[in-house]
Amino acid sequence: MAQGSDAAVLKADKGESRFDRTSMINLLLRNLMVLVVLGVAVYFSIARPQFATLPNMRTILIAAAPFALIALGQTLVILTGGIDLSVGSVVALSAMTGAALSVGHPERMWLAAGIAVIVGLLAGLVNGLVVAYVNVPPFVATLGMLSVASGLAYAIGKGAPINGLPREWATIASTKVLTLQAPVLVMIAGFLILAIVMTRTSFGMRIYAVGGNRTAAEVAGVNARRILTSVYAISGALAGMSGVILSSRVISAAPYLGKGYELNAIAAVVIGGASLNGGRGTIWGTLLGLLLIQTLNNGLDILVVPSYWQTVISGTLIVSAVAVDMLATRRSNK
Amino acid sequence: MVEAPALVVTDVQKSYGGVVVLHPTSFSVAAGHVTALAGENGAGKSTVLKIISGQVRPDQGLVSINGEPLTSSDPKSARRLGVAIVPQELAPYPDLTVYENIFVGREIRSRFGMLDRSAMAKQAREMLDVFQLDIDPRWRMSRLSVALTQIVEIAKATTWGARVLLLDEPTSAIPDHEVGRLYDVIRQLREQGVAMIYTTHRMAEIQEVADSVIVLRDGKLVFESGIEGASESTIVKAMVGRDMDALFPDQAMSTGPVRLQVQELQIGKTCPCVSFEVKQGEILGIGGLVGAGRTEIMEAMFGVRRSSSGTILLDGQPVRRNHADSAIRSGVSFVPEDRKGAGLVLERSVLDNGSLPHLRTFTIAGWIRMFARRAAVDKATKSVNLKSRGLGQSVGTLSGGNQQKVVVARWLTREGRVLLLDEPTRGVDVGARGEIYTIIRDLAASGLAVVFISSDMTELIGLSHRVLVARAGEIVGELDRAALDRPDAQEQIFRLASGQTHDESKAEAS
Repeated sequence: MAQGSDAAVLKADKGESRFDRTSMINLLLRNLMVLVVLGVAVYFSIARPQFATLPNMRTILIAAAPFALIALGQTLVILTGGIDLSVGSVVALSAMTGAALSVGHPERMWLAAGIAVIVGLLAGLVNGLVVAYVNVPPFVATLGMLSVASGLAYAIGKGAPINGLPREWATIASTKVLTLQAPVLVMIAGFLILAIVMTRTSFGMRIYAVGGNRTAAEVAGVNARRILTSVYAISGALAGMSGVILSSRVISAAPYLGKGYELNAIAAVVIGGASLNGGRGTIWGTLLGLLLIQTLNNGLDILVVPSYWQTVISGTLIVSAVAVDMLATRRSNK
Repeated sequence: MVEAPALVVTDVQKSYGGVVVLHPTSFSVAAGHVTALAGENGAGKSTVLKIISGQVRPDQGLVSINGEPLTSSDPKSARRLGVAIVPQELAPYPDLTVYENIFVGREIRSRFGMLDRSAMAKQAREMLDVFQLDIDPRWRMSRLSVALTQIVEIAKATTWGARVLLLDEPTSAIPDHEVGRLYDVIRQLREQGVAMIYTTHRMAEIQEVADSVIVLRDGKLVFESGIEGASESTIVKAMVGRDMDALFPDQAMSTGPVRLQVQELQIGKTCPCVSFEVKQGEILGIGGLVGAGRTEIMEAMFGVRRSSSGTILLDGQPVRRNHADSAIRSGVSFVPEDRKGAGLVLERSVLDNGSLPHLRTFTIAGWIRMFARRAAVDKATKSVNLKSRGLGQSVGTLSGGNQQKVVVARWLTREGRVLLLDEPTRGVDVGARGEIYTIIRDLAASGLAVVFISSDMTELIGLSHRVLVARAGEIVGELDRAALDRPDAQEQIFRLASGQTHDESKAEAS
């Protein structure tokens, strides 16, 4: 549904003389998610005045940042027709790595953070190589990595969380630039960069091509294996960054950190209109999906809705979003 | 046999979006009678079969089976009247057993609603016995050869008492030595009084199994006769017509030096190896039957299929084998047969598809130069006279002919040296076909070396400067322009392709 207005305008063109109700409805359906996000925000603002305040907006963004990075990586993977189930565990593995290296050594904190991201990158690289060159289905390959990375995360802490990190570790997440915290800036930069990469670079175009029709892409000279390997590596590296941010926020690291995040990320991408078959979806869509989930969580918290009901609501939302998308697609294909 | 025909087709007509694919057509098939339905690709054969089997509703006209009209066009009611179709592309369940394949959808159940496997296996055994097939119904389907799969599919169709059986190119994927089994099955069904329609590209087969022949050309029934009045050459002439002169004007061939040399290219584990040359400005056609290994040769030349040894030289310089990207960089273009499966990313726009192969020429360090890209794709699509709503239209919504133009145009954003085309006009309507021929000729005239595969005799003979005939992965014969102009050119090609070795083509074939 967040396929962008280009597609909607084109579909509308088909009717030529009859720019009528049908095409208007299609246009609305195609951009439905924007309306839903706005509607939800308006509702919360009216229901609870403290929702629409600057500090609360900041809270939403700060909470969104670690999810956003994972969802961005997941978007690339899903666009190739794959899926990355390992990101949650990779978050834990990277956080534990960073923590273990920096505990008692504030001077090498940034080095530790860098290594943590590289560990994420390597985990993703392994996923990518196994998927691209050994042809193991992505679901299986990353399910395996989910287990392996989680086990390694526990092994690093010998089964326990790592506490007592240098106080400086917190600065990673709390440094402010232009009144925005670093993770929020990283998130915004991530979205901008990837949005540009996906629309303006040959790498982005090849991701769409491989996901849309791998054989055709190969016949056009695209090295599909290299593309696949890269997207998993990127997904892993972004999960690594997410792990560092999360552990910096609480100045500790736990092996169960990030558990279940992969599903959240997949939900954001799918709500954003991406197809799990690959080839269809946008960074913009993922942003909307993410905003919707985060706004909803925040708003329902403010309304003091118990978390178990929040889970029910977000589950319903995911399926409805995709159902509406299917209906809209069928409509416009008629 | 003076009884009423089992199948009567009366004035059936069909058009899609204003394009007539089948003009009013009438014919009938008697019980126990095999009618061969011949015609080139796009002549309307499959439309006829689809109408009779209820998959497509005719715009007008009537189909009746054993005197009962097929009123609502859906496969179920056609089936109830006794029509069965065995499609060209079989879709068996490879991991289920033979008897499960036969009984899927009509399972025999015991009193408690559980599957009665032994009863199904037993019945399957009896059916297979009818056709004297020495296979165990408990085998997995994947264990059977294509021919046996085909026969099981026929058995499946006839078990529920089909009186009209439609066979769509049943032999296209079967090796010669197994075709005999299929003939036996067909003869047996004829004894049982089943009326059959049989489509094929192989002329010899028609003589072998058919009682009568009808020929479609451009959606019209142009020939109808008992088999005694239908020699190979009459059928071919009816199929092709003689209006090919309009599509293929005489052209002076202005070829330059040798551009592409394929030397001892080995695709499988053992030779036959393939060697040939193409000159600048030359259009080289490759003929042969479906399954003769033509596509494999072309894919190996381009590098998307592994070749194990051999050399490919482009203007004397070797091209890296098994590496499509190198081939593209050195100016080789490839238009694959399966346009949707291997040519286009259907959900993406004309612009994206049009710029994918030569993406490198529009990028600086990975950044797409949007303006240059748009300009180049615009120019290329204009040069092939693409009809679209703009470069933003997704190619999935274009017509077949226009999709094919995109597949060709995307190679034209840069000057190329060799153009490889696999069945360039399959599924393309007659009008757009002419345009594609013009494009190919113009590109050759501009100095490209063109190699194309075609199963369409008219186009092979009309468009080529020279034709190679492939059979079983090997080049078995060559016809130059003079030979192509002789009236027996089609027969020559057919003989070489099917491996018939009577008269003088023998010498050339070996």
